[in-house]
Amino acid sequence: MLAQGIRSHRRWIVLALIALVALALAPVFLAPFHIRVAQLFLFSAALAVAWTILGGFAGYWSFGHTAFIGLGAFVAALVETSFQIKPAGLNFVVGMLAGTGACAVLAALLAYPILRLRGIYFAIAMLGVSQVLGELNNNVDAFKGSLGIVLPQIAPAHVEPQAFYYYLFLIAGVLTLGAAFAVKVTRLGHGLLAIREDEDTARMLGVPTERYKTAAFVLSAVLTGMLGIIYAHALGYITSGSVYRTDFSLNVMVYALLGGIGTLAGPILGAGIMVVLTQMVLGRLLDTHMFVTGALLVAIVMLAPRGILGYVAPLLRWRKDGASP
Amino acid sequence: MSEPILAVAGLTKRFRGVVAVNDVSIAVPEGSICSLIGPNGAGKSSFFNLVTGYLPPSAGEIRFQGRRIDGLDTHRIAQLGIARCFQIAKPFPELSVLDNVRMGALFGRAGARDVETETAAALALAGLSDLADRPAISLTVGYLRRLELARAIAQRPLLLLADEPCAGLNPTETEEVVDILRQVRQRGVTVLLVEHDMRAVMRVSDHIFVLDAGSKIAEGEPDRIARDPRVIAAYLGTPEPAGPA
Repeated sequence: MLAQGIRSHRRWIVLALIALVALALAPVFLAPFHIRVAQLFLFSAALAVAWTILGGFAGYWSFGHTAFIGLGAFVAALVETSFQIKPAGLNFVVGMLAGTGACAVLAALLAYPILRLRGIYFAIAMLGVSQVLGELNNNVDAFKGSLGIVLPQIAPAHVEPQAFYYYLFLIAGVLTLGAAFAVKVTRLGHGLLAIREDEDTARMLGVPTERYKTAAFVLSAVLTGMLGIIYAHALGYITSGSVYRTDFSLNVMVYALLGGIGTLAGPILGAGIMVVLTQMVLGRLLDTHMFVTGALLVAIVMLAPRGILGYVAPLLRWRKDGASP
Repeated sequence: MSEPILAVAGLTKRFRGVVAVNDVSIAVPEGSICSLIGPNGAGKSSFFNLVTGYLPPSAGEIRFQGRRIDGLDTHRIAQLGIARCFQIAKPFPELSVLDNVRMGALFGRAGARDVETETAAALALAGLSDLADRPAISLTVGYLRRLELARAIAQRPLLLLADEPCAGLNPTETEEVVDILRQVRQRGVTVLLVEHDMRAVMRVSDHIFVLDAGSKIAEGEPDRIARDPRVIAAYLGTPEPAGPA
């Protein structure tokens, strides 16, 4: 099914490859400030794609995905600073495995009690989980959440750190998008779609709903954790407040909604628009930019409830071959 | 008679005080079309919910092809080869007719299959080929019912549980659904039908089971059932004996 999925989405894949080449070359031409903006874009877009695996495909909106950013970041930071394995690259890999592993375990443990909750109840339960983890992290001294942790520098000495992290985010983004695409076009993705449309009917058709939801949740958590770990290294120093951030949880949904929920191109488009708007355009209107952002969102939700792609895709007639963005 | 494909023994379902299904035993012969009839509230839908694993039984056992299936998850039962279509059609609303049916072919009974071929065949059998690209929500009740059937057929079931496929349809549409069920049977699928349209039931069924207030009160061939006084009493009530004024 993967091969068939690649065939039917070839136009989107070509578009993605062109974008990838452009993104790979971009740091050569960009000013340092713009590299930072581009980093933020890659981070935001990838987070939104990771969130989409559960929230967009299966319709299980998590309001607390920052739990995995924070958990991944802190587990990796604690492991890397405690063991200080040489060389630095290996230390990073070990931290990455520990951090993403912790996210996988947490998601698998949470799946049984809270993935049975439907709709808004699951969303709120995840919000609660992220709040609880953030508070624990901040208040239990062993986690160093309030004191903060300085992460080991992993950028090689001769490489400009901002460009280094930019490429790290780019690789993570490609991995995330690739994984999400593989889910989307295979049995798992179709099963998740059936769950989103009508979970009882899906089960009646033979979709192993609990197993599929758990798989989607764990994958989404691992990818989110991976991104959180890279983000932590790019920051260099983290506290609970810098990685357990409710605005991360909310922003990923804004990106997905803005671009087109349930699609993969949508969250990327949404993240691009929002990052450019907030960092470059509205940054000049410091007093009013939150107001303008909010108003814009209200307008889009009212005028194009399926997001920009939901509005545009039928006009492009790209969906005729069964491929959706 | 060959081994029944579905054998239910002593099946009981209690909801708090109410006994929805009371000690029901039936055997559905392989390759037949059987009907389950009875007045509203007789326990027909509960019976389907028990067989598909949607509800756990309070007592009794359910065997499919000789194998116990009570207690299995709903999706496992579907993978073994039992498909159900609902009285109130439950399409995947945002998907096209084609994608709805394809979902049945992708999942359904376990085992290798050519998804596109199965999908096309099921669409054709239900007479939906021309509407394949329409969104499911745009269909009328009659076509939704066919979509429900097509998706169940695409699951390649061994046993199809059809819950009032003719409810709310006009005589022509009913005739078409009955025709679809006959073709399904010709493909080797056993059909268990819940239906209120007695003309359809009498014409299509090999064997009829009658439920009333959760219990089986009669079973047999259609013309015997039509004359059975217990059945008539269940549907129409017994004549009130003349009492003191």
